[in-house]
Amino acid sequence: MFFYLLRRLLYAVPIALSVSLVCFLLVHIAPGDPVNAIVPADAPAAVVEQIRREYGLDKPLPVQFVLWLWHVLQGDLGRSLATGRSVSEDLYAAVGNTLMLALAAAGIGFLAGTAFGTLAAAFRGTWVDKLAVAFASAGVSVPHYWLGMVMVVVFSVMLNALPAMGAGPGGSASWAWDWQHIQFLVLPALTLSVIPMGIVTRAVRGTVVEILNQDFITTLRGKGLRRGGVVRHVVKNAAPSVLAIMGLQLGYLMGGSILVETVFSWPGTGFLLNSAIFQRDIPVLQGTILVLALFFVVLNLAVDLLQTALDPRIRRT
Amino acid sequence: MNSAVANNPTLLATPAAPARSKGYWAGVMKRLSRDPVTLVCGAILLLMLAAILLAPWIAPHDPYQTSMIRRLKPVWFQDGRYPLGTDELGRDMLTRLLYGGRLSWFLGITPVIIAFGIGGLLGIVAGFAGGWVNMLIMRTTDVFYAFPSVLLAVAISGALGPGISNAMLSLTLVFIPQIIRVSETTTTAVRNLDYVESARASGAGALTVVRVHVLPNVLGPIFVYATSLISVSMILASGLSFLGLGTRPPEAEWGLMLNTLRTAIYSQPLIAMLPGLCIFATSICFNLVSDGLRSAMDVRS
Amino acid sequence: MTFSLDRRGLFRASAAAAAAALPAWMGPAAIGWDPALAQAPGGHLRVGMTASAVPLSNGCPDQGGEGQRFMGITLYDQLVMWDLSQSDKAATLKPGLATEWAVDPGDPKRWLFTLRQGVPFHDGHVLTVEDLVFTFDRAFKRDAPWFDARASAQVTPRFPTLARWGAGEDGRFWLETSIPDSTIPYALTWLGVVHKGAWEAAGSNWDNYLLKAVGTGPWKLTSFSVRERAELARFDEYWDKARVAKSARLTLLPLPEANTRVAALRSGQVDFIEAPPPDALDSLRAANFRIITNAYPHNWTWHLSMVEGSPWRDIRVRKAANLALNRAELKELLGGLMIEGNGLVPPGNPWAGNPSFKLVHDLPQARKLMGEAGFSAANPLRTRIGISSSGSGQMQPLPMNEYIQQALKEAYFDISFEVFDWNTLITIWQGGAKGPNVRGCTGINFSYAAFDPYSAFIRLLKSDLHAPRGVNWGWFNDPAFDALFTEVYNTFDAAKQDALLARVHEKIVDEALFLFAAHDLNPRAISPRVQGFVQAQSWFQDLTPIRMG
Repeated sequence: MFFYLLRRLLYAVPIALSVSLVCFLLVHIAPGDPVNAIVPADAPAAVVEQIRREYGLDKPLPVQFVLWLWHVLQGDLGRSLATGRSVSEDLYAAVGNTLMLALAAAGIGFLAGTAFGTLAAAFRGTWVDKLAVAFASAGVSVPHYWLGMVMVVVFSVMLNALPAMGAGPGGSASWAWDWQHIQFLVLPALTLSVIPMGIVTRAVRGTVVEILNQDFITTLRGKGLRRGGVVRHVVKNAAPSVLAIMGLQLGYLMGGSILVETVFSWPGTGFLLNSAIFQRDIPVLQGTILVLALFFVVLNLAVDLLQTALDPRIRRT
Repeated sequence: MNSAVANNPTLLATPAAPARSKGYWAGVMKRLSRDPVTLVCGAILLLMLAAILLAPWIAPHDPYQTSMIRRLKPVWFQDGRYPLGTDELGRDMLTRLLYGGRLSWFLGITPVIIAFGIGGLLGIVAGFAGGWVNMLIMRTTDVFYAFPSVLLAVAISGALGPGISNAMLSLTLVFIPQIIRVSETTTTAVRNLDYVESARASGAGALTVVRVHVLPNVLGPIFVYATSLISVSMILASGLSFLGLGTRPPEAEWGLMLNTLRTAIYSQPLIAMLPGLCIFATSICFNLVSDGLRSAMDVRS
Repeated sequence: MTFSLDRRGLFRASAAAAAAALPAWMGPAAIGWDPALAQAPGGHLRVGMTASAVPLSNGCPDQGGEGQRFMGITLYDQLVMWDLSQSDKAATLKPGLATEWAVDPGDPKRWLFTLRQGVPFHDGHVLTVEDLVFTFDRAFKRDAPWFDARASAQVTPRFPTLARWGAGEDGRFWLETSIPDSTIPYALTWLGVVHKGAWEAAGSNWDNYLLKAVGTGPWKLTSFSVRERAELARFDEYWDKARVAKSARLTLLPLPEANTRVAALRSGQVDFIEAPPPDALDSLRAANFRIITNAYPHNWTWHLSMVEGSPWRDIRVRKAANLALNRAELKELLGGLMIEGNGLVPPGNPWAGNPSFKLVHDLPQARKLMGEAGFSAANPLRTRIGISSSGSGQMQPLPMNEYIQQALKEAYFDISFEVFDWNTLITIWQGGAKGPNVRGCTGINFSYAAFDPYSAFIRLLKSDLHAPRGVNWGWFNDPAFDALFTEVYNTFDAAKQDALLARVHEKIVDEALFLFAAHDLNPRAISPRVQGFVQAQSWFQDLTPIRMG
């Protein structure tokens, strides 16, 4: 077990490095001189030269990568072209906001998905099953940013029941866990939760159906085990794969909230990415993607380890 | 977005079944013919495809002809001369939706096809060759796998700048690793089947083994998996356009139309919602067809 | 969904049904976003701006005119300011932190300013002439320890003639220009006055200063989050007692998406939005919101590149583009909220003159000109224009440009667009057509205010005012224009200057130097709770008279 853990941890290192490499190359695939992607257009020539030296843009590409990585390891993701602020500072707040939104959406999606999936499996073949599956298919097929717009019109504009945009009456900096603030989370989190809801429903249904079909359940039932006992077995056997899916979904929510954040002006990483793209603010783009991807790598690792802990038979090589 | 389907064992292609005979395919067709949902969705998709392919002949108006006098008119305007009304620049909605469908479908399907070709090839090579080739291909795949798909698409489009070709490039790059994984897993499973092992042992050429034993068993599951990606691809592509990273005006594309019609949601809500409905309908049909195909091809069901 | 706004009865019924089905705590009664604030004396005014980020709080804001409107003249005062108290006549200049100013009788290049006495900053410091020197050093003296490159980038293009400045022995502030320049008072309205103690309190760092900005304006900064919001509070000790703010607090939110602005206004999250989208106007009026408009000297054009290789160097092409555009239809697109493009000044302006080239819709003539220039339907002129996704004064840039794209297509133009964030487009404008970030654009869709001869004409066309010295974006170079501008600088008689400027404008239109599309009416939508707002005929607005009902 210990060696497995160690091996997984060690394996995450080259992945993380490669992820950084991809992010590093973003600056170089952006059209134009990379230095233009790092310094403001109106910077004097002397400043441009200084930055070029500082970031080693006059050196060969591999050296540049190492230099850049050195900056990153020290927490220096560069400065935003648009605001001149440190990218790490902007990211710190944004990642927190996105995490909050993603967790809320994951909570809603996982609870609803597990409920629908279990119901569908328990009542396999009936209208309950069909309804749950239809709901799940709709969840993964709907363009969720569009759903968000419709929800704003209905709940904010027409019913005046929920805020249409923003993260709290005083902005995200003064967030508190009371209804005054939580109501701002409702619409974006609901919108974002439809995809994990659909995927978790389908996954839970599939897994539970498979387990219910297996011989040992039939045997258990034959032995006269009570309902509660069967449920416990099902949960125990379904949990690892369902957990794996949920973990990945959380990662996708973190990385995929750009559209929803744009629709709701939610000040998270997606909102940051969106403005960075149109401001051609490559350092912000690069830093945000790096942080989100690394988050995803860590999450994957955690899910793997959790899965192994729950069911030692599953071991990825 | 929902690319996590790839990581979902229950949604994945089935483990390699024994070599598929004619009898197997007959069974698949038979099972499909008894699946009304798949048939209906398939029919809807075929109808849509026909409509958008025939757009230049059946569309009632010019997709680019603007008119400020008849902008944002309701459904069935002028007794059906504009059956679905007009958009914010007075262009016929039905025509725009038909032409928009061409681009949306193209943007949705092309990356999947390219990824199917490249990813399938690499995955089969990795699975069949094993060893360091497998190592090289799969570890590279892992890196791209480390990016959530929306993020990867946005990152590439964001760095390269907006435009159709950049959007397609980024989507293709998102799907290739996913398809590689599926095809590698399936190929490895097939390769390790006893009769394939014995065919190799008896001295059959690698190409022959691949052609006779591997491809017929592997292509089906990869294909089914690829069909499930089409809906993802369409939603992602429309999302990129919605953000302003995909198609650019005046092209008609559902995601972009959704974006430009946003402000009309207060004056002509139905019109503003139409492109979203189109994306939704297409996407759900592709998903259901893909589900149907998978369960029809799964011998256990 | 049954939320067609035409069918209000049905809508109300369904809304009521849905509301009844909602738990009580979600009902409209629970929505007071922040009841404590709403009850403060004068209330809490919340504004939805079109900018994609909060404009800089340093006294030299970015985000163009909108930055100045909401962060420049709220937190700061300038030596010379705009009188924004009247809506029935064009805004004029008035004394700000300078009670009077004059050109030195012996030297037309030297200006003298008498400072207002006893003006307090938000931190208690009282204005001195040294603060003025600091303010100018900070913006223009590149080797000063307190030089602020970001502020400098914003205001340098406004002061092309500035040469020297300092504190006079008589306690007056003086500045000198490189040539006689009667437009200096206008330029001064852009430079917020700061003081050294506040900069030192922020750790002698202009980045930190953004969070701790200190001015003399009617509002003081309480919090600043560049991507989310700025919170301002009334400054009770403001020197001009007539302009002490009526509302206790002011929140500024960057909401670049027009739809988000409307949703925020209608759901009660903001009280005042800039540039509501035309398609939402009817529904806003129906829901009892007020739409206010006013004419102001504003231009919405395509600023064309005259650099070697640009297709716009050919006057036939420029004229054809202007003739291909149907401005009446453009107006229709905007629900009537524009004035048809008349050149660089709106109709009726004393400088409008009577150009011989008429800005009408004449497609056959446009096609003929394009044919002469060597283009046809089969061989259209392909070029790229930079546009913004939002922005103050940019009106509704995406649909308007898409419309123009289609209109020009009829006259053999094949235009593609490069979409930029508004602030980025401003940088590109300042960087000129030869700048590094133009991405192949031969024109940019840019809007300007025409306050004075300099901002209306000279800065756009004088040959030596190209980047980085000015915003002659297209590197236009015509000795005939330069000669006219020199004459303008040296003409001090107002009537003669007007006549001269009319000649300049006639020449600009006759040569079709821009694609003249529209003049904005500056629409705003405000909640019925907003009371006392006076919309001045200006790019800027005064928020101090507003009280929340």
